[in-house]
Amino acid sequence: MTTTYRSVHQRQPRLEGAAKVTGGTVYTADLRLHRMVHAKALRAPYAHALIKRLDVSKARAYPGVVGVFTAADLPQHLPRDGANRLHTVLADKEVMYYGQPVAAVVADEASVAEEALDLIEVEYQELPAVLDILDALKQDAPPVRHSMAGIDRSELAAHTTLAAADEQTTEKTPPNVTHRMVWSRGDVERAFKEADVVVERSFRASWTHQGYIEPMSGIVDCDRNGDYTVWTSTQGDFTTREGLAKVLGVPETKVRVNFVEMGGGFGAKIQPFGAVLPAIIARILRRPVKYIFSRSEDLRSADPSSQAYIETKLAAKKDGAFTAFKARAVYDSGSFPGSPLMAGANLLGAYYKFPNLEIEGLEVITNRVSQGALRAPGTPQATFAIESTVDIMAKELGMDPLELRIKNAVTQGDLMPNGRAFSKIGLVEVLQRFKETSFWKNRNGKPSANGKKVGVGFAVGGWLGGGSPSSASVELNADGTVSVMVGANDVTGTNTSFAQIVSEALGLPIERINVKTGDTSLAPYAGVSAGSKTLRTVGLSVQRAAQDALDQMFKIVSERLECSSEDLESVDGQIRVKGSPEKAITFELLGTMSTGFGSPTPVILGRGNVGTPAAAPGFTIQGAKVEVDPETGEVNILDAVCVQDVGFAINPLSVEGQIQGGVAQSLGLGFSEEMVWDDKGVLRNPTLLDYRIPTALDLPRIETALVEVPVEGAGPYGAKGVGEPPIAAGAAALVNAVSDAVGARVYTLPATSERILAALGKLPG
Amino acid sequence: MNDFEYRAPASVSEAVALLVEKGERARVLAGGTDLIVQLRGGRFTLDRMVDVKGVPELNQLRYDAAEGLVVGAAVPCYRIYEDELVAAHYPALVDAARIIGGIQIQGRASLGGNLCNASPSGDSIGALIALEATAVIAGPGETRSVPVEQFCTAPGRSVLGPGELLVALRLPPPKPRSGAHYLRFIPRYEMDIAIVSAGVAAVLSPDMSSFVSARVALGAVAPTPLFVTEAGAALAGKPISEESIALAAEAARQAARPINDMRGTVEQRRHLAAVLTTRALRGAVARAKGEQVNGH
Repeated sequence: MTTTYRSVHQRQPRLEGAAKVTGGTVYTADLRLHRMVHAKALRAPYAHALIKRLDVSKARAYPGVVGVFTAADLPQHLPRDGANRLHTVLADKEVMYYGQPVAAVVADEASVAEEALDLIEVEYQELPAVLDILDALKQDAPPVRHSMAGIDRSELAAHTTLAAADEQTTEKTPPNVTHRMVWSRGDVERAFKEADVVVERSFRASWTHQGYIEPMSGIVDCDRNGDYTVWTSTQGDFTTREGLAKVLGVPETKVRVNFVEMGGGFGAKIQPFGAVLPAIIARILRRPVKYIFSRSEDLRSADPSSQAYIETKLAAKKDGAFTAFKARAVYDSGSFPGSPLMAGANLLGAYYKFPNLEIEGLEVITNRVSQGALRAPGTPQATFAIESTVDIMAKELGMDPLELRIKNAVTQGDLMPNGRAFSKIGLVEVLQRFKETSFWKNRNGKPSANGKKVGVGFAVGGWLGGGSPSSASVELNADGTVSVMVGANDVTGTNTSFAQIVSEALGLPIERINVKTGDTSLAPYAGVSAGSKTLRTVGLSVQRAAQDALDQMFKIVSERLECSSEDLESVDGQIRVKGSPEKAITFELLGTMSTGFGSPTPVILGRGNVGTPAAAPGFTIQGAKVEVDPETGEVNILDAVCVQDVGFAINPLSVEGQIQGGVAQSLGLGFSEEMVWDDKGVLRNPTLLDYRIPTALDLPRIETALVEVPVEGAGPYGAKGVGEPPIAAGAAALVNAVSDAVGARVYTLPATSERILAALGKLPG
Repeated sequence: MNDFEYRAPASVSEAVALLVEKGERARVLAGGTDLIVQLRGGRFTLDRMVDVKGVPELNQLRYDAAEGLVVGAAVPCYRIYEDELVAAHYPALVDAARIIGGIQIQGRASLGGNLCNASPSGDSIGALIALEATAVIAGPGETRSVPVEQFCTAPGRSVLGPGELLVALRLPPPKPRSGAHYLRFIPRYEMDIAIVSAGVAAVLSPDMSSFVSARVALGAVAPTPLFVTEAGAALAGKPISEESIALAAEAARQAARPINDMRGTVEQRRHLAAVLTTRALRGAVARAKGEQVNGH
């Protein structure tokens, strides 16, 4: 049976899109408030150092400077030992990463604050810095930081929904290893002995930046009642409220976070890094404080994605059946724990059926900026390792790499490394659909020419999907229009999709529906927009709120028309009796009735609130076709595709766009994006010139193909999370394509021209 | 950033006078694609910015079969690659002008500014050296001419003294049976800085079988753009063959003295110097034979 939909499953242009693409959207940096002052941070020039002397007197005396603040000015309740990044607003005695804020200057003008930074005198005593991920594993490595007491490990657990069978670190643990866990089942060693083919390799993935266009930014005001008002570039207004309330030591009722459009976050803006410093200073000054990172500051001192080192060992029988997988995954968390180790280590062994499995996961800290989430955190690194290994295995077995994947792909009931079984998933469907794409049909289309080599590669990717409770309200206005309020930050067109859901539920044209993200003092609660969960969690609340409003309207109409609610339907802005369309009451009349002066009819206010819905892992296969110049190592990406199981596409236009964005980002991780540090831990490329996000010219047209394996209860109409799966596999696919083209394989991401040349043996050493 | 004075002179003499008055504290503005970025980045401060876009001599672009090409120092890139005569007689100059920055940058950026910025990786400089360009410099004293290969003295430094102004670049008319080609290697498709670049010009014998002479210039492999005379010498009188080209490429590789930085390593740059010299030579030979060769 085919259900026909009027609003959902339709290609709906983004309702806020025109303002964005014409420069009309207001972002945090655009806002100016009465009596507002500007904060700038002095950032440490060393990766690891003690602050021996800090003299701010000259900066304080500089004309136009309103105040200069150091760790001594922080609220007394904040821990002084750098327990967690959010609370470590300014370095206190010890600098743990290059670019760490040491002091802040506040002035009438941002440029004056910047000038005064130069007048602050700091005497540092440099300490040995731990930078390499393998060095950080060593027992005799110098400590990354002096005090490890009270260190906060809660963020690590937040990346996964399971209770990990993890081991606590012990006294024998190397000083910079902050977490170790092992997952195992079966007998891997025996399986390796009995296997026909064993492939063993190791991989590295570099530090990368999320590459959002709007840098970290925040404005915070504190009035004389001690009430805070916040405007900040964030993925979660409520998580910002929660974080600020903790740092400030005030109840959440004292913090109001306004919704402002965000120019990209990709996971980096889960924590309110842009708002903490201005909040603390606003409390002291009782004036609005604006704090905008420059591009360079953002690249140096935000929360980029961590490097990883992964060893794999895969066993198979001659027929291609995988019999064992063993891996060791090390994730660098930077100077604070909180890496995506669990998510990465789990997905590392989650794409295929492995009867015997053993995965050891380790988190280390280093003297680098603390890491944050980047779209499917930990997954591109893990996917690169497993999907390179599987490609090598296909070659060793002489099997088609796609057939090998189909043969071993997980289905419902199969176990993840963490011991949980998959619910209904669409990986096999995705792999089958791949064969029908234009990419696949044209994969042999362009032969190698002019000495260049053409190759095709692909890789499986996935993301389990996060979840959290949510709520929404749907209210009928006097003129028959409908206002929807949510607390979720719209980062990918979710408000447009919510409008489609309400339009579908109420039978009301989308033009008469307005969805707004309210501020935290008014809006119904929603969790942070992250984990590919906003549409499927908040969307369920919106759907329920719309149904609740409709039920209330049906009740009123059934009384007026003296019929049963069951006999009513809502079509084209009116509620009518099924089969007797002349018996109807319009939304306009209902709006008037439910708001009119003296009217006995109650206001129509629908409410929806749900807990975390069922899990809905989303899988993809991504393909890349590349042309490689074997003399220079240059890679030209000719074609790219992503097939993804999205459950149900509420707005296919938006879904395809989001997938294309994810693919673009994944290809950047594959061939160009990398934070480059010198041997002292100083970031060498803090500009978008040298931190190479692909430009439009670097990328081909990106084909998308949607597979819909809906999971009931996971999201409205069975929708799954869309945002994260498409970044998982692109880098791995690109490296597999390069290998197909030139016969040499790169084991470190990104596969830069230099690494390709080295793999080809064209560079000495 | 401190306050500074903005002046827009209408003649070379007026521009020189404005520059002389402030010495090191004055800077010349043409397209501003380097100057304004550096100023805002705090690389230097200044008291006076002298905008030369209104000076006629700095905006001339004219070709004459006897005199060659004159490119005013402030002529933006797009005028160079849209000019049919330039495209016909100096395709290597078009190779370079087309790849500086992106389309928007090319609407403003000038070859003169690219040269005066004196970056080791300056995209037009290798092509200018290969094409035997000279820099015409006005100043408080006599107007003087300096071959482009002698113009840059260190990263960001040139032969320009206080009060001196680059007026134009003069390129001799192309010799019979000559061709030139400029190539650059960057890590992405556009909007990047060369890891290595190579500008090559070659003159072929009347029967098109051997090299009469060649000029090879490399970018981003030394503190200044490098004129590799050894590579040219290796080709003089040699037959046109892959073997001859390989000798020149090896000379280029040997001459390169690059550094390791975040854009590339010493070994990668040496390797690419040879690859790009080889390819640019092939392109130059093809152009000398009248064949069409694409730019980058």
